[in-house]
Amino acid sequence: MDITASTPQTPDTGARWRKRLRIGVVALVVLAVGVYGARTVLARARPYVFHGSVIQSTEKAPQVSLQSGDGPVSLADFAGEVVVLYFGYTFCPDVCPTTLAKMARAMDLLGDRSDEVNVVMISVDPERDTPEIVSEYVRHFDPRFIGVTGPPEVIDRVATVYGVYYEKAEGSAATGYLVNHTATLMVIDREGYLKVVLPFEGTAEEIAADIEYLLEH
Amino acid sequence: MSRKAIFGAAIPIVAILLATASFVVFEPIQVLPRIRLAPGFSLIDQHGESLTSEDLRGSVTLYTFGYSRCGAPCDRLNATVSEIMDRLDEVDMDPETEIRFVTISFDPDTDTPERLDAYAEEIGADGDRWVLATARPGHVENVVKAGFKTWFERRDDGTFSYDPALVLVDGWGVVRGEYRYQTQTSDADRIVRHLDVLAEEIRNAHGAAALAYEAAHLFLCYP
Repeated sequence: MDITASTPQTPDTGARWRKRLRIGVVALVVLAVGVYGARTVLARARPYVFHGSVIQSTEKAPQVSLQSGDGPVSLADFAGEVVVLYFGYTFCPDVCPTTLAKMARAMDLLGDRSDEVNVVMISVDPERDTPEIVSEYVRHFDPRFIGVTGPPEVIDRVATVYGVYYEKAEGSAATGYLVNHTATLMVIDREGYLKVVLPFEGTAEEIAADIEYLLEH
Repeated sequence: MSRKAIFGAAIPIVAILLATASFVVFEPIQVLPRIRLAPGFSLIDQHGESLTSEDLRGSVTLYTFGYSRCGAPCDRLNATVSEIMDRLDEVDMDPETEIRFVTISFDPDTDTPERLDAYAEEIGADGDRWVLATARPGHVENVVKAGFKTWFERRDDGTFSYDPALVLVDGWGVVRGEYRYQTQTSDADRIVRHLDVLAEEIRNAHGAAALAYEAAHLFLCYP
């Protein structure tokens, strides 16, 4: 090229700059679309993070057939809906009322959607908790809650397969004996698979979020 | 010139896409499946003390099943456990997380704590890291059969036929591995490798997952 090419006044140089600008704009647009696309794809691909231990079992949640004050209750009764299982007992001094109150608050947060959620407390104190006592107890927290119990050997089997340890412990004269037990919430999805085990420390908001996700997916 | 610029812009995009694709195809992060919930239980160990599933929350535990009168049929299984114990230096486990071994006897009628203690000495179980335990008759059936999904059956002569399984349970109480068949690689090799995969997962745990380790005691209804 001759020396005039470097002077900006010539039309030749102006055309070259326009061309560079065009390339630059195209490259930027491609980059922006690429980044936006990658972010969208990654956001979709990123799994929802539950607030407890996720179970990926290929087997359905173990069957439960026990008695409430209103008659027999079985997991099969809730087909197509979400079930939350909790193991506790009516003489329980602190953990059970705290958890059930939290669960009731989670139901409030879910609003209308809570119609498709069944909360079932299984008694780990079958000697003192009759079906009537346990049903009445849970209704204090939410009238929809279901309380069930059954023969000690059946309770032992159900608790064991749901990973729940329970054992009698000494209490005071006022409380009688106590029952130490695992205080987790087991959430079963619409298809009957145990999906997540929520720790006792979880908040009502976290419980509601996990249930909402399972209602939607 | 313009072609060069287009290449210049395309190369990083192609690189990102390739990296994403290779991540999906090769899965560089290996995770053990979360097979099912491990059973909850209350056992009596070889020292006559209580050993519950809550005591083991926060520890990674390898379970085996047997009985003290087993003799030679249990040798290979016990040798596998011993080999894994000897090779734990190959596992880069977080120092807060213990690796425990529990052998559950399905013969509670015979296996008193004293008998289990004597048997433990015979097979090299130290009673600390590797503990032998059993439970009352009804409960042991629920734990071993319904809970761990393995089986045992008493024969007429009082011996048992049983499933020589090893079950790996994480600190959250979830079954992460079941080992039944000797393949080309030995069970010990696979289990040591899987313990290391689990160790990495535990090191990276955060949020609710980490909480399960830190606040294990809060899972219980204390007086």
